[in-house]
Amino acid sequence: MIRYVAVRAAQALGVLWIVATATFGMLRLLPGGPFDREKALPPEIVRNVEARYGLDQPLAQQYASYLGGVLRGDLGPSYKYLGRDVSDVIAESLPVSLQLGAAALALALAGGVSVGLVSGMRRGRALDRGLVMLSLLGVSVPSFVLGAALILGVALYLDWLPGGLWESPAHVLLPALTLAALPLATIAQLTRASVIEVAQRDFVRTARAKGVPERVVRRRHVLRNALLASITYFGPLLAMLLTGSFVVEKIFAVPGMGRFFVTAVTNRDYPLVLGVTLVYAALVVVANLIVDLLYAWLDPRIRVRGESE
Amino acid sequence: MPRLIRLCLCSALLACGGAPDDDGGRVLRFNLRTEPPTLDWNLAADSASFTLIEQLMRGLTRLDHDLRLQPALARSWEASEGGRLWRFHLRRDVVWSDGEPLHARQFVDGWRRLLDPRTASEYAYFLFAVRGARAFNAGEFDATRLGVSAPDAHTLEVELEEALVYFPALVSFMATYPIRRELIELHGDRWTDPENWVGLGPFRLKEWRHEYRIALDANPLYFAGRPWLDRVVAYMIDDFATELVLFEQGRLDLVELAPLEIPRYAGRPEYRRQPLLVGYYYGFNTRRAPFDDVRVRRAFAQAIDRERFPQLLRGGEKPSASWLPPGLLASNPGIGLAFDPARARALLAEAGVDPERLEPVVVGYNTNDPRHKLVGEAVQAMWSENLGVEVELQPREWKVYLKQLTVDPPAVFRLGWVADFPDPHNFMELFTSSSANNHTGWADAGYDALVERAAREPDPDERVRLYDEAQRILCERDVPIVPFFVSSLNLAVAPRVRGLKPNALNAYSFEEVRLD
Amino acid sequence: MSPAGWVGVFLVAALALVAVAGDRLAGQSFDRQDIARALEGPGSDHWMGTDALGRDVFARTAQGARVSLLVAVGSTALALGLGVAYGGIAGLAGPRWDGPMMRAVDVLYALPDVLVIVLLSEALNATLGVVPDLYRRLAALVLALGGVGWVGIARLVRGLVLQAREELWVEAARSVGAGPARLLGRHILPNIAGPILAAAALRVPAAVLAESTVSFIGLGIQPPFASWGVLAADGFAAMRSHPYLIAFPSLAIFATLLSFHLLGEGLRERLERAG
Repeated sequence: MIRYVAVRAAQALGVLWIVATATFGMLRLLPGGPFDREKALPPEIVRNVEARYGLDQPLAQQYASYLGGVLRGDLGPSYKYLGRDVSDVIAESLPVSLQLGAAALALALAGGVSVGLVSGMRRGRALDRGLVMLSLLGVSVPSFVLGAALILGVALYLDWLPGGLWESPAHVLLPALTLAALPLATIAQLTRASVIEVAQRDFVRTARAKGVPERVVRRRHVLRNALLASITYFGPLLAMLLTGSFVVEKIFAVPGMGRFFVTAVTNRDYPLVLGVTLVYAALVVVANLIVDLLYAWLDPRIRVRGESE
Repeated sequence: MPRLIRLCLCSALLACGGAPDDDGGRVLRFNLRTEPPTLDWNLAADSASFTLIEQLMRGLTRLDHDLRLQPALARSWEASEGGRLWRFHLRRDVVWSDGEPLHARQFVDGWRRLLDPRTASEYAYFLFAVRGARAFNAGEFDATRLGVSAPDAHTLEVELEEALVYFPALVSFMATYPIRRELIELHGDRWTDPENWVGLGPFRLKEWRHEYRIALDANPLYFAGRPWLDRVVAYMIDDFATELVLFEQGRLDLVELAPLEIPRYAGRPEYRRQPLLVGYYYGFNTRRAPFDDVRVRRAFAQAIDRERFPQLLRGGEKPSASWLPPGLLASNPGIGLAFDPARARALLAEAGVDPERLEPVVVGYNTNDPRHKLVGEAVQAMWSENLGVEVELQPREWKVYLKQLTVDPPAVFRLGWVADFPDPHNFMELFTSSSANNHTGWADAGYDALVERAAREPDPDERVRLYDEAQRILCERDVPIVPFFVSSLNLAVAPRVRGLKPNALNAYSFEEVRLD
Repeated sequence: MSPAGWVGVFLVAALALVAVAGDRLAGQSFDRQDIARALEGPGSDHWMGTDALGRDVFARTAQGARVSLLVAVGSTALALGLGVAYGGIAGLAGPRWDGPMMRAVDVLYALPDVLVIVLLSEALNATLGVVPDLYRRLAALVLALGGVGWVGIARLVRGLVLQAREELWVEAARSVGAGPARLLGRHILPNIAGPILAAAALRVPAAVLAESTVSFIGLGIQPPFASWGVLAADGFAAMRSHPYLIAFPSLAIFATLLSFHLLGEGLRERLERAG
């Protein structure tokens, strides 16, 4: 197990290194970047950038000092906010995005697994058909459409919840719901498929034949395997939440990292764009690492295979 | 319910728990739409910054909502030598928000900093009337020879190069406000952070969450008495639908109405329209081809059908081909290039420009006002229909757009000009060669001389004649800019808000506002 | 195919028709402005109404169908080509190459789609010097979407190729001296084409969704072109007074996603039954 953990962690670090190198390359390639001297940037920024990257030094040294900065958590100065570093902006906005993401993740998992279980165990009945249809709708509605509907319906007409801003627990619900819809529907589809598949497997049939009570069968075998299926899905799920946050943070005026990413791209604030990219990559890589480890812990066969590689 | 699901729901609730502080009390919330580039009044040059500084600071004089000049920090003033020497007597009861009394010296510090070339303020030219200011700003001699002094703590003496009748109105403008030099030197760029900030307006800076909100608290030390409101919160919501929904939910008290919403609000008690001394124009970057050729600029100007703008924007816009808005001395609607597509095409051909082979013309605009995109798309269609040229729209966030204009303006750029004080000089000086707010790259000695002479001219009729001549150069002969229309402020104000009086300079203070 | 699958086929055909013949059906161009008739609700002249600049919303939605579907189908074709080539090579090349190649794919697979699309299209937009300016963003978007979409297909193809390698008929072909290219093109691909096409059919709605998301946040298609995402963004800003401006493009996106999902599912079910 320790060996497996070490191998996986090393791989994750390798991925982060590749992404950091790619962002360094993009900073150099993109026009208007700090290395492009043709474009007139404000002098105070030119000074900061030159001091930060040591532009007169050889390429290898610039790269080394960039990587060193990334390791220390220093992502360089922003073009846009005079006197503020990319790390400041991220430190301010990341917690908001994490809060929103965590709320949406919890909603998606709880809702998706419940719907999938209910639907899978009543396969073919009216309830199942209804839920299948609903999850098909769920994967077909873009988040801005759902967001618009929720803002007009729940916020404006019913006046139950605020239609935007980030001030209290009530403000979290609508954006979290909007963000959770797509992953919730996808998890429901996956869980349903896995429940149906597990129910046909030999060990479940055997258990039932031996007279094990249905409740126990469901909890021991069906639920456990269904959960395993949604854990595998955790990586793409996280990516889906991050993607959704770009739109959701914009339409609900939530001061999170997704909004900064969008404005930074519009403004060509490349250090900020790439700093945020690096943070996203780190989030995804770490989450995948945790999932892999969790999975290995739950399902020993994987661990053995991982070690023999 | 399975345990795991319960766990998930619990953590969802926990995630919701991290709420920021409650604003409590008498709070007014409004949408500023964009992050203000700065709260340093020596450096501010845009309306988002001005709106907040209006709540945070006061100067020698102040224009009320009818644009009448009122005393503020100065109790009274007198002129001698026909308006060349000015003496301002300061109130004795004014203290800064940290308890430090106001000293005339702080005006001297502020003016020196504004004019110091190292400050690089876009508004430095504002005080060029002061003796020695122009030379000091050009780095020619030191600040001690500037014509401003503080003989005692409550007297400010100003010596101008030439007599200037409207000088007391000029010092109502924010760039001329006093500063606390020692604090600015201590904190550097960060002196406008809430923990370092000091001012003497009705409100003080409490909290600044970037790209989200700025909170201002009542200043108990304000010389005209603590305002009724406890707190004003300015949000930076850039989505126009979200902003309106929040207003209709009662979560915002004040928003500017987008053109699409105006018809629905017209006739409702929440709706307020205030005509403004605001000129809306497109400027050309005259340093780069093809707009270095005056015929091309004229062609593009004559391909603009201004009558479409009021239909499009629905907010009481008045089309205008000349630069000085109605309501100002010397405003003259007879000046300017009229819509004439045939002439426009002929001019373009004369300049040897083949619209088919022209690179797409980049039009820059800022995104914090929904009108700019509509105007941009309308102009895109007009130039494509009437001239056959392709136009690429380039939206930018306000803060970045302003930076882009000072560093490297796009071929065509949108801007508006809000009067800083109600005198034609303020509009005409904008396009002189020494104005840092002139982003066109165009400079004309004849125009500069006319504007300067008009500022000193005591006879109104002669003044009008000089301004007419200058406007003809600007809008007919050289055409570095195309004026589009004069705008109005279209607000939706919650019925519970009392005492909000915006003026024609787009300024409103929350000092006298009460909530029912 | 299941009835739901046939509904999908029918809807996809209808969309294609609107995309091809939309401007004829609307009777006017998507960018003709008539400001005097701006913001008219749905009626007999403009049966989806007009927008703030007096442009016909139906003509714009049809034009949006053209742009959105072009981007989605173009990028899916690109993804299909890249994915089959990459996955095929990884599957045939043996474990020494297969491992690293799949690790690289895992990295891309993990990053959020929209993030990579935005970064790629920005970088491409800055470097596609040969493409005329107006089409550059469009081209950059197609390339970027393709550059993201191939990853899933590559994974699928590699898995199928690995399976097929074990089959007797592949062994037989190899024993008579078929090279890797011939092996893949002649023998393996025709046999695994079904699931790959089903995956590609599901790639189209993903691309439509990604394109509309990127355009909605203002980083995709730019005016005067209009995709559904652009229309929805404009409609969103106006939704309080003029909800039809967001309703029609939203409905278009929704119908497209739904029909391709139904079609993709139908194809998959049919394949499963056949297999």
